[in-house]
Amino acid sequence: MFYREAGQYKTNYAADMAVFPLRQDRIGIAVILAIAFIGIPLLGNDFFIASVMIPFLVFSLAAIGLNILTGYTGLISLGTAAFMGVGAYSCYKLTTFFPGVNIIVLILVSGLFSAAIGVLFGLPSLRIKGFYLAVATLAAQFFLQWAFVRIPWLFNYNASGAIEVPQRTLFGLPITGASATPETRYFVCLGLVVVLTWFASNIVHGKLGRSWMAVRDMDIAAELMGIKLLNAKLTAFAVSSYFAGVAGAMMIFLWYGGGEANDVFTIRLSFTILFMVIIGGLGSLIGSFFGAAFLSALPTALKFGLPALGVPIGGAAAEHVTFMLVGALIIIFLIVEPHGLARLWQIGKQKLRTWPFPY
Amino acid sequence: MNAHSMAVAGAPVTHKGEVLLSVESISLRFGGVKAITDVSFDIRKGEVRAIIGPNGAGKTSMLNCINGFYHPQEGRITYKGVRRDKMRPHRAAAAGIARTFQNVALFKGMSTLDNIMTGRTLKMRKGFFWQALRHGPAMNEEIEHRKVVEDIIDFLQIQHIRKLPVGKLPYGLQKRVELGRALAMEPELLLLDEPMAGMNLEEKEDMCRFILDVNNQFGTTIALIEHDMGVVMDLSDRVVVLEYGRKIADGTPAEVKADQRVIDAYLGVAH
Ligand SMILES: Nc1ncnc2c1ncn2[C@@H]1O[C@H](COP(=O)(O)OP(=O)(O)O)[C@@H](O)[C@H]1O
Ligand SMILES: [Mg+2]
Repeated sequence: MFYREAGQYKTNYAADMAVFPLRQDRIGIAVILAIAFIGIPLLGNDFFIASVMIPFLVFSLAAIGLNILTGYTGLISLGTAAFMGVGAYSCYKLTTFFPGVNIIVLILVSGLFSAAIGVLFGLPSLRIKGFYLAVATLAAQFFLQWAFVRIPWLFNYNASGAIEVPQRTLFGLPITGASATPETRYFVCLGLVVVLTWFASNIVHGKLGRSWMAVRDMDIAAELMGIKLLNAKLTAFAVSSYFAGVAGAMMIFLWYGGGEANDVFTIRLSFTILFMVIIGGLGSLIGSFFGAAFLSALPTALKFGLPALGVPIGGAAAEHVTFMLVGALIIIFLIVEPHGLARLWQIGKQKLRTWPFPY
Repeated sequence: MNAHSMAVAGAPVTHKGEVLLSVESISLRFGGVKAITDVSFDIRKGEVRAIIGPNGAGKTSMLNCINGFYHPQEGRITYKGVRRDKMRPHRAAAAGIARTFQNVALFKGMSTLDNIMTGRTLKMRKGFFWQALRHGPAMNEEIEHRKVVEDIIDFLQIQHIRKLPVGKLPYGLQKRVELGRALAMEPELLLLDEPMAGMNLEEKEDMCRFILDVNNQFGTTIALIEHDMGVVMDLSDRVVVLEYGRKIADGTPAEVKADQRVIDAYLGVAH
């Protein structure tokens, strides 16, 4: 049925099905990558790279993870931080057991543990939705957070009660631990985020991504397409938690570098990631970056930017202003533009495409 | 030319094969509500089988039983010789049963193209890791299925809305996209729940033509719920009539039309 001689379309379809069919978009991506890989390391100082760029990358990855679950599959989770924690502690145990294995490999592997735990806590999603599922993931959050504190084996019985990041090298260059420079850590983060984002983009544009969105938009019809709801939801939990887990491992090993890492995987972090996804745009990968950039840069920008502009503002006050701004924005976005910053970006591009003749 | 004369012109193939699906004395209750009571009928390969009856007669419930959304408390459903009255919807899909809904059930946030592509889900075999790479075999597979989907889009004349999210399309077009999504499954049995409801005359004519073409060209067996009696009479080979969950008539359109109970129950009342 419907098979016709259509071979000549092949190249057209391949081009049309590319993730960025527009040449301008591809150029845009190339420019962004050039800035990220060359511009920022050249121009940014250590503070900017360590306190702005690395957190931004880590948050972006976590936001992509949550967006896969919430934005693409329509399943809400308040346990993102816990799944990030699973990645971090798995990575710590792995590097303790296998000190010889490259830490980048271990960071990637630790996501698998997080994926497994995510699937476990995702099992109730077959029966419950919305608010009730949110509560179930909240249970994951509290249980895992408890485990991170109460099971000393997880942090190798350190007196600090936290992960103490060991030094690990790549080609002889330290990439984790106290002597790793911000630039090196940044490059590792950037590499991981670029590769994993590429995978995420491929997945959401393919069969699995369509199945997720089908489940999100109309689960009964999805089932009728032959999509097994349990499989679709659990793969979403798995992939989402994998990203969260890798982000968590990166957070401790490449950003915090240990020490102050006690009790970071809290419900507050879960909410921060959720807000990033909402403000950035549900169901949009680029929106995840927007949301992460916005929310991770906002406190820093207020704390250091306003005084620089001559507006005196203390650290505590800046934090309060951040809270109020974020709260207001969440409400505005939820009511006015559920597709978040990503949608505004699209509208902007559309305007640009037709400018200066809008009709 | 109106929908009816057109339907007659493209008269469906007359030789109908063996029984594809048989429903034997099924009963379906929701608590105290008897949606279906002791109904039997069959659908033969290649035919267009209409199910008619007043609102609340149990027509939609019947389709829901056939594709596994509801499981009747009594009776049996046999499809291609296999008993399957406890089968889940995704198994029904795998067995070649596709369906459209009375109140369009599209994936609102997805484009027309992606909606129809989901219809190819079961035919796509490449695993997770190939999909994550989206190159080589996975990309070839996407392209191969995209071609089939483009042919369906051409067939239904919806090229212009290919990339648009379906949530904002007019109702008539949504119904068409939903038909496309069902066709993408290359079903053996296509269940259509009021495919022309809420359409204007022109849209109805188009839909009639599509249904006949699907039946004629691809030999797809069709079970159709429809209220427009003219359409039913012209499109279908056989008609089963339900009232209050019971079957009151079953036969060719002419036979059903002449049946006194049908006239009393259904044809007599305006709706
Ligand atoms: N999920 C359900 N729960 C309760 N009652 C239902 C359900 N589905 C259908 N019914 C009832 O079954 C009867 C038949 O409905 P339906 O099959 O939708 O009729 P039709 O499609 O012929 O208009 C109605 O009385 C309806 O209220
Ligand atoms: Mg109905």
